[in-house]
Amino acid sequence: MATADGTGRSVGDRIAEHRAELDTQRVVLYAVLVGLVGFYLSPLWAGLTTAFKSQAGFINTSPLEPPTPAWFTVEPWELAFATLQGGLVNSVMFVVPATILSALFGSFAAYGLTKLSWRGQVGILVIFLAGVFLPYQSVLVPLRQFWSIVDLAGLLAFAPVLANRADLLELTITHTAYGIPICTILFRSYYKTLGDEMIEAAKIDGANAFGIYKRIVLPLSLPMFAVTLIYQFTQVWNDLLFALVLVTSRSNYVVTQSLNELQGSMAQEYNIQMAGAFIAALPTIIIYIVFGRQFAKGITGAS
Amino acid sequence: MGFIDRLRSRTGRRDREDRSERSRTDGQSEEPQTDGQRGELRTDGGSDVRTRGGLSRLKHSDAVQAVPFWLPPALLMGWFVYGAVGWNLLISLTDWSGLSQPDYTNLTLEMYTQMPNDPSFVAAFRNTVVLLVAFTVVSLVIGLVLAILVDQNIRFENTLRTIYLLPMALSFVVTAIFWSWMYNPSTGTINVVLSTIGLDFLTMDWIGDPRTRLAAIIFALTWQFSGYAMVVYLAGLRAIPDSHYEAAKVDGAGSLRMYWRVIVPQLSASTTSAAVVLMVFALKAFDFIFIMFGDNPGRSADILAVMMFRVAFSRTQWAYGAAVATILFLMALSVVAPYLYLQYKRGDL
Amino acid sequence: MAELTLGNVTKRFDDVVAVDDVSIEIDDGEFLVLVGPSGCGKSTTLRMIAGLETISDGRIAIDGDVVNDAPAQQRDIAMVFQSYALYPHMTVRENMRFGLEESTTLEKAEMDSRVEDAAETLEIDDLLERKPGELSGGQQQRVALGRAIVRDPAVFLMDEPLSNLDAKLRSGMRTELQRLQEELGVTTVYVTHDQTEAMTMSDRIAILDGGELQQVATPLECYHRPTNRFVAGFIGEPSMNFFDVSLEDGRLVDSDIEFEYPLSSVVRDSVGETTELVLGIRPEDVELLDARETAHDFPVVVDVVEPMGNENNLLVRFPDTDTESTFNVIVDGMCHVEAGKRYVIRIPESAIHVFDRETGAALHNREIEDETELLASRV
Repeated sequence: MATADGTGRSVGDRIAEHRAELDTQRVVLYAVLVGLVGFYLSPLWAGLTTAFKSQAGFINTSPLEPPTPAWFTVEPWELAFATLQGGLVNSVMFVVPATILSALFGSFAAYGLTKLSWRGQVGILVIFLAGVFLPYQSVLVPLRQFWSIVDLAGLLAFAPVLANRADLLELTITHTAYGIPICTILFRSYYKTLGDEMIEAAKIDGANAFGIYKRIVLPLSLPMFAVTLIYQFTQVWNDLLFALVLVTSRSNYVVTQSLNELQGSMAQEYNIQMAGAFIAALPTIIIYIVFGRQFAKGITGAS
Repeated sequence: MGFIDRLRSRTGRRDREDRSERSRTDGQSEEPQTDGQRGELRTDGGSDVRTRGGLSRLKHSDAVQAVPFWLPPALLMGWFVYGAVGWNLLISLTDWSGLSQPDYTNLTLEMYTQMPNDPSFVAAFRNTVVLLVAFTVVSLVIGLVLAILVDQNIRFENTLRTIYLLPMALSFVVTAIFWSWMYNPSTGTINVVLSTIGLDFLTMDWIGDPRTRLAAIIFALTWQFSGYAMVVYLAGLRAIPDSHYEAAKVDGAGSLRMYWRVIVPQLSASTTSAAVVLMVFALKAFDFIFIMFGDNPGRSADILAVMMFRVAFSRTQWAYGAAVATILFLMALSVVAPYLYLQYKRGDL
Repeated sequence: MAELTLGNVTKRFDDVVAVDDVSIEIDDGEFLVLVGPSGCGKSTTLRMIAGLETISDGRIAIDGDVVNDAPAQQRDIAMVFQSYALYPHMTVRENMRFGLEESTTLEKAEMDSRVEDAAETLEIDDLLERKPGELSGGQQQRVALGRAIVRDPAVFLMDEPLSNLDAKLRSGMRTELQRLQEELGVTTVYVTHDQTEAMTMSDRIAILDGGELQQVATPLECYHRPTNRFVAGFIGEPSMNFFDVSLEDGRLVDSDIEFEYPLSSVVRDSVGETTELVLGIRPEDVELLDARETAHDFPVVVDVVEPMGNENNLLVRFPDTDTESTFNVIVDGMCHVEAGKRYVIRIPESAIHVFDRETGAALHNREIEDETELLASRV
């Protein structure tokens, strides 16, 4: 699990040290890099311009052109938002608890693992690690069967507010469970670097396993919590598959489902689709831009 | 002599003012004690703990104290991952379909034996393998090139890295919508750009035409995940110690040769880990195809992940869906198990 | 304050015996140094006392209470680690208070006053609100020490606490630690591989080798009355010179170099029937002469002279031997010695040690004029 923050000297730099004829090479290099920026941003750019054009606008102009005043409109955003707002609220309602729970459980598990002998640790670790790579299709049928047997809505019948949200509760628990493996791996790679002597010192100071976790390990894990929460939030927010299987009631549709529905019902209205896509992606884009470093750490830690 | 007194005699803090202040702050806790502060030690386990023996030792061993921490998450995760995989296998051996409940008494391999004769399965299997291999290889190559370019001590490195990795932060649902628009035959960006640069003859209905559909999917997925390969390779490049290619520099190897002969071979660990993760992403590429084409993208672009969903959740052939899911699981396992074993051997776990 | 007893303590890791049947009685208020080469089991012994390692066999008792099965948390000990092991997210004050918070029910004000007193003692009272990352190595060391003393434990354990300090700080800290321990009077077990620390700080030294206890005694007793060749060689810098010899007709003989050393009847009696022996002599006990006078004088060549100012360290050898077989001689700094020249040395019989070559056991140790005074325990 290497660092992804790009510290350390670049290989290119070190190779180039002894070379002088770099000027034209540098120009070509920057041209290529800018071209690649164009490639990576073009779908987003095309989407953004289209989202601000009227129907006639995006049919008659190139998607790479910014909207001219004649075609400019924010109506697609209003329409898309109206369709998605329920989904947005529902997503926030289950993504936030699922993310926090996965991170907490992952931190617990990783802390527990550090206290085991190496042999015991590796055995349990492999079980967690294999869970990271699970293709979710291979648990879908039992998952649906399991939740239909549990009948959460029935169990919660005494509190209609909760019973109506049973789908989201199921989704929360499901995402928490499937998020535990990656969170455990991320925390464990961090806890391995905490000094043994520090934990032993706390033990001698009289702290028990819970005290050491609460007062030493947990406060020291805050940077890792940032990484884990950001990674897990992005994963859960972006997921469609579990929602398709578990959320049946339309009032509980999460944002990816709402977006899917919007795409199906407005097949030719690309401007609304694009606006919807941006609205649905906005939380993750903001988090990515603000916490890019932690995001990169999360995804490389996952390998 | 109590501890504080001993300390105080050392530091010479015996003046009256100080003493009166002390007795005000801790007079209560100090008075009842006869022998220093020892009496205040908590004896959580009772006073006989020192003589209690094996049970106490077990209770206080690290392994036992660790259980409350790792067991609950392990159980939750274990049930949903391993319990569900096992249950899925069980379901795949029944003939459960429709609205009935599964019957676990008569287990057969029927669902698996019918697969080779199911052209839809064969096509999905083939496409899955093609997607897996092509997507992984292309993403790795592009990722490596990106990493080497970004690694040239360039300005705005952070910004560029952020841009190249951005698609990875997006949902498949979002990227599928973007790319449906990109591939739009009349006004989509791809065809517009091709016409602009005079390559009209190349314009086509990329996702409508069965011949290009899978390639178009792979291209879009590569766009989304090559940034990931870049990040992994970049970390690998930065971890190579100076001395490893200073020798090559002395030998006068050119930049390209140097990369090919000295640098790239040292990235094998990065390649392996990136490849495994990319392959698993490919197996999970359901959301993307589902948004673009619904649950039936046609023989040319159907993959096992989509087929499984269609068979189980649209046609309610639960047992067959579970069987397809098992095949998908085994494919993932065949990629991941050797990787984990390798990591274990290297001591990287 | 308490007595600490190790009774036949043994530690096995799989099939490796790390600590083998070690028994030591440590008195109340005593400063005991556990010393030995790396891998000798000294740290494992300390960790067993701390409760960080389980005990395979034997018993450890604090003030008569067997603590074998008590976890570290309940042993009423404090430990100073080599790496200091401070909590990086807490201030110095919080670091020092942590142990009190976790193991006592003191009121907050009392905790703070204890912390402040300890900090004042250690002259770190102006650092209380800083975090460990902002402190120098020496300051961190003091905080680690402060964290141990605020708890007023029954036993202090120290695992090479000075080894991360630079040489100058180390000797200052050595004196300070020793003075602190004396004043607080807390039973202390101190692990080190540095024999200078062992000699200067301890009331008694326990020397371990290969997991086995070699000797427990006052520093000077270990120095002058080693129980075996290992202790004799380990304590003292430069270490004792050893010569493989045989006993023939009441003389120690090395026939290869025509070395003959007649023994008096007193020494002969203590050697007994053993014939394969090792002759030991400390470098400072060898005398440098101009000419042979007695049967205990031998011609030598001086290979190297290392002037130290107060004394000269000489590397010498018997004539007709190669440079591999040099040994150490220390003479007065005022004494002018030239390398390459021949001299005569005297090995006074009063200063020799004789060991059984096979078992290493000391058969005869040097004479000491006022024995009771010199070897009296410092306790």
